[in-house]
Amino acid sequence: MTSRRGFLKSGGLALFGIGIGGVPTFLARAAETEKIVKPFKKKKIMVCIFQRGAMDGLMAVTPFTDEYLKAARPTLFMTAAKGGGRTTPLIDLDGRFGLHPAMKAFEPMFREKRMAIVHGIGSPNNTRSHFDAQDFMESGTPFNKGTASGWLNRAVGLLGHDAATPLRAVSLTSSMPRSFYGDNPAIAISNIQDFGIQVRGNQNGAKLAARSFEDLYDQASTDLLKQTGKESFDAVRLLKQTDTKSYSPSNNAVYPNTALGNSLKQIAQLIKMDVGLEVAFAESGGWDTHFNQGTESGIFARNVNDLSTSIMAFWTDMGAYQDDVTVMTMTEFGRTVKQNGTGGTDHGRGSCNFILGNDVNGGLVHGKVNPLSVENLEDGRDLAVTTDFRSVFSEVADKHLSINNDGVLFPGWKGSKIGVMRS
Amino acid sequence: MRILTKPIILFGFIAFSAFVLPSFLNEGPANPHFKFPYKQAGLTERQAAAHLLNRFTFGAKPGDIDAVLKTGAEQWFLQQLEGSLPDDSVTSLVASYDVSKMSNAEISSTYPKGAIIKRMAVQDGIIPKDSVNVNKNDAVLRAKMYEYMQSKGIKPQQELFKQFVNQKIYRAAYSNNQLHEVLTDFWFNHFNVSLTKNQCAEFTPAYERDVIRPNVTGKFENLVLATAKSPAMLMYLDNATSSGTNSSTLEQRDKLERLRAKMKPNDPRKAELLKKIQQSKKSQGLNENYAREVMELHTLGVDGGYTQSDVTQAARVLTGWTVKPMGKYLSGNNRAADYAKERLAKAGVTQDGDFLFVPFRHDDGEKTVLGRKFPAGGGYEEGVDLLKMLAHHPSAAKFISKKLAVRFVSDNPPQSLIDKMAKSFLQNDGDIKQVLITMASAPEFWGKDALREKTKSPFELAMSAVRGLDATITQPYALYTWITKMGQQVYYYQAPTGFPDRGQYWINSGSLLNRMNFGLALASQRIPGVKINLKALNSNHEPESAEAALKTYSQLIMPERNLEETIKRLTPMLNDPNIDKKIGAAAEKAAPAKPANMNEDSMLEKGYAKAGSPKKAGKNDKAFASAQTAYGNNSMLAQVVGIIIGSPEYQRK
Repeated sequence: MTSRRGFLKSGGLALFGIGIGGVPTFLARAAETEKIVKPFKKKKIMVCIFQRGAMDGLMAVTPFTDEYLKAARPTLFMTAAKGGGRTTPLIDLDGRFGLHPAMKAFEPMFREKRMAIVHGIGSPNNTRSHFDAQDFMESGTPFNKGTASGWLNRAVGLLGHDAATPLRAVSLTSSMPRSFYGDNPAIAISNIQDFGIQVRGNQNGAKLAARSFEDLYDQASTDLLKQTGKESFDAVRLLKQTDTKSYSPSNNAVYPNTALGNSLKQIAQLIKMDVGLEVAFAESGGWDTHFNQGTESGIFARNVNDLSTSIMAFWTDMGAYQDDVTVMTMTEFGRTVKQNGTGGTDHGRGSCNFILGNDVNGGLVHGKVNPLSVENLEDGRDLAVTTDFRSVFSEVADKHLSINNDGVLFPGWKGSKIGVMRS
Repeated sequence: MRILTKPIILFGFIAFSAFVLPSFLNEGPANPHFKFPYKQAGLTERQAAAHLLNRFTFGAKPGDIDAVLKTGAEQWFLQQLEGSLPDDSVTSLVASYDVSKMSNAEISSTYPKGAIIKRMAVQDGIIPKDSVNVNKNDAVLRAKMYEYMQSKGIKPQQELFKQFVNQKIYRAAYSNNQLHEVLTDFWFNHFNVSLTKNQCAEFTPAYERDVIRPNVTGKFENLVLATAKSPAMLMYLDNATSSGTNSSTLEQRDKLERLRAKMKPNDPRKAELLKKIQQSKKSQGLNENYAREVMELHTLGVDGGYTQSDVTQAARVLTGWTVKPMGKYLSGNNRAADYAKERLAKAGVTQDGDFLFVPFRHDDGEKTVLGRKFPAGGGYEEGVDLLKMLAHHPSAAKFISKKLAVRFVSDNPPQSLIDKMAKSFLQNDGDIKQVLITMASAPEFWGKDALREKTKSPFELAMSAVRGLDATITQPYALYTWITKMGQQVYYYQAPTGFPDRGQYWINSGSLLNRMNFGLALASQRIPGVKINLKALNSNHEPESAEAALKTYSQLIMPERNLEETIKRLTPMLNDPNIDKKIGAAAEKAAPAKPANMNEDSMLEKGYAKAGSPKKAGKNDKAFASAQTAYGNNSMLAQVVGIIIGSPEYQRK
């Protein structure tokens, strides 16, 4: 096993020393001269957003000409036709698929060919358990529960250059996501503003405590506590260089005040701080719409509105960094073709995902959605999975981050890519 | 000081009752028929007692190890399983809470959902119809709403949830029946429901109180049945709204369809019929959510051997299981009065408390689940049979045993232990008490791989610190804010899995730093509503130096642990000759309020750094004490204790 703290061995962090004040000396010196310090070379960044709960892909991007779907969803089906009984029609993407109107923020990106959609994406394992399906998608091994590491952690290990920063892989979540489990350095931060040892109004006390804790955790007898402690303190030092509290987004970007909006805002902050971030992770919840999921308004509409406006605020905020950033969404499975008895949908199979970036083969709905009919459905009920999530994830990782060792990224997988990225 | 009087009296009372009713006084149940094999594992009696307290309570209080030894480890465990030790102090703390006594119906009437209040206020002309988001910004409207709610005897739901959280903290911190509190926490998490879901939130306090707590050491089957029939679970996993696709109302609908087909195109009644058909469609149909989770998460486990077809069929078996409409504020055809007992009986509805089985919503066709056939024509009983079958299934025995072992033994419990527990589960008809005895009597429970192997959850960390420091809680909610910050928003976990019970989930950079910050905040009395007296912990002896404080307090807070390494690592830092001055100076700046006519700076120096031996107490001692109060314990001692609580060793149990 490679050392989880490989970046230390590589000497990257030796630069910082373990200054008593917790501020790396060279940064302190630079701060004195008021120079902006950019210790890390600008890198490509992949931002992944996990939609937990299983998004109804058929409502997000609807094959609106499909009569079977229309019949299966008497109160949930939406059409792209104006005046079709709905106040707001779907956004017609290509004559066959319609984007949910609450995601209109995405439309320009799709038209400008920066955004691609993959439909019928999912896992070859047909579990309809949230927990299992998320676990499989995040470990990247759909038939092996024993895989200890997450695919994004393995991606970090395959970046092909030495890490010089503890902030190479950051998850804006309160707990470490399964995708980040593993030996390569990765950290979870729920709020970068209060990331540190705090003794209110008592600087010396805080410093002493930080030193004591750092020393104690360095000697901790369990690896988990030891490694996490180490990574925490390294990250704390690094984050100290910028005033994280007063952040104003560029280009008048306005983030919705939601969990996802706040996460993406902080990811933007980290990217602009040039602290060496390469893989970022955020979550969005509330997709398990068994009950009254609504149509142009309601639970689902609110969710996709949050998703699209958060991502677009992030994209706008990125401005000059846009060439370096690719955003990809994912969800554990889709939902039943038929609506259930309670105005919602139950656990299904295929769903869709969104990929945004300047190197994306955009403006297309990739993948394969066969006309819905009983014989075309998986188990006679669900949108079939026609694209293995690994073929999309690996392609994005390959084209955007130059990770091309699929045998390590997705052990045991031998599929091919489908062209979601421009070659 | 004036404002402090009330809490002090209250705490005097708690302290008093704790004194009169020492934790483990009762003789309790009959002599244990089992023996804990800790000696074979090389543990002393005291170490064994510490391990028991670590795993089966929310943390040892000062004196608890002696109490366990006095009672005898096995006897103590039986008492804890019994859970009937007098608990007057806790009972009195939570007695005034509505969550302690109100029924679901009373809660629905007193704490209706925000949308209901708004609707009423609009109807009564208090607020204009178009003011959808009034209470966010408009102060005048907000005041009007407040007045209106008062006049109606309505309270905001947030208050209910706050009480709910507070009672949990009080019970975990002070109950003498610790294992019952730990198990309530465990089973609630196993059968998770969440305050994030609007439809089930109001039923959640009674769910914990009436559905989970009374069943925590009984037969597993009782938990499965009670949760299945509870309003909270029925709403959380949507079973309340699931109905049969061939139920009688559907037949009625078909009749309507046939009628419509017969009508001429220009029949004036056609529009009305269409509307009726649409409505009946809306309220009809299967929802698989509960059926899946009861198998995957509550009983069999995801690898327990069921298929998608079993899920669908089980969902059909459980159609018609629903919740009685409750509370004053129901509209239209849901009026509670309509659900009068006689009426229900007439319609063939089975009622059990807040639970209803509605036969005309039930799918009474034939079903097969896990190979067992449920013949056509079945009703409520077939659901009960199904749940019993699941609760006693060998897969459930394994799944539940493993989950218990993960909670109480280690994140990766040995298969040999799980097998023993599963066997005990099946032999004893799913008796949880027996399974726990099997677990605690097994060598695996006492093995090296188990000792201190579990990571405390944030809630457990906070509770163990509060208990270990013998803290007095006047406002529990501030603790909750910290627990949330450390990564465990209790009662708000959205997914039906409940919080994952393993160190890897709890420990990550953000949460770890917050654990350290929590230790510092608690020890320096910066958590409002939580008072500690560090000196009293050490029988009012004052440590002579930072080093002495470290040694003494590590032993007090983490009894029966090997703390050599912790002490060795910290000592040099604390011996920094300038450190007292630094901390003192910083403390002065941070002091919340300076009492007049006092020179705190010199007092702190004298009181702490130069205090000398306890013999020399007198004036200095007094000065130290008042300095402590003045600084809110923001002294070297507090700092040392804060570091101990934030240390890696303390994160384990």
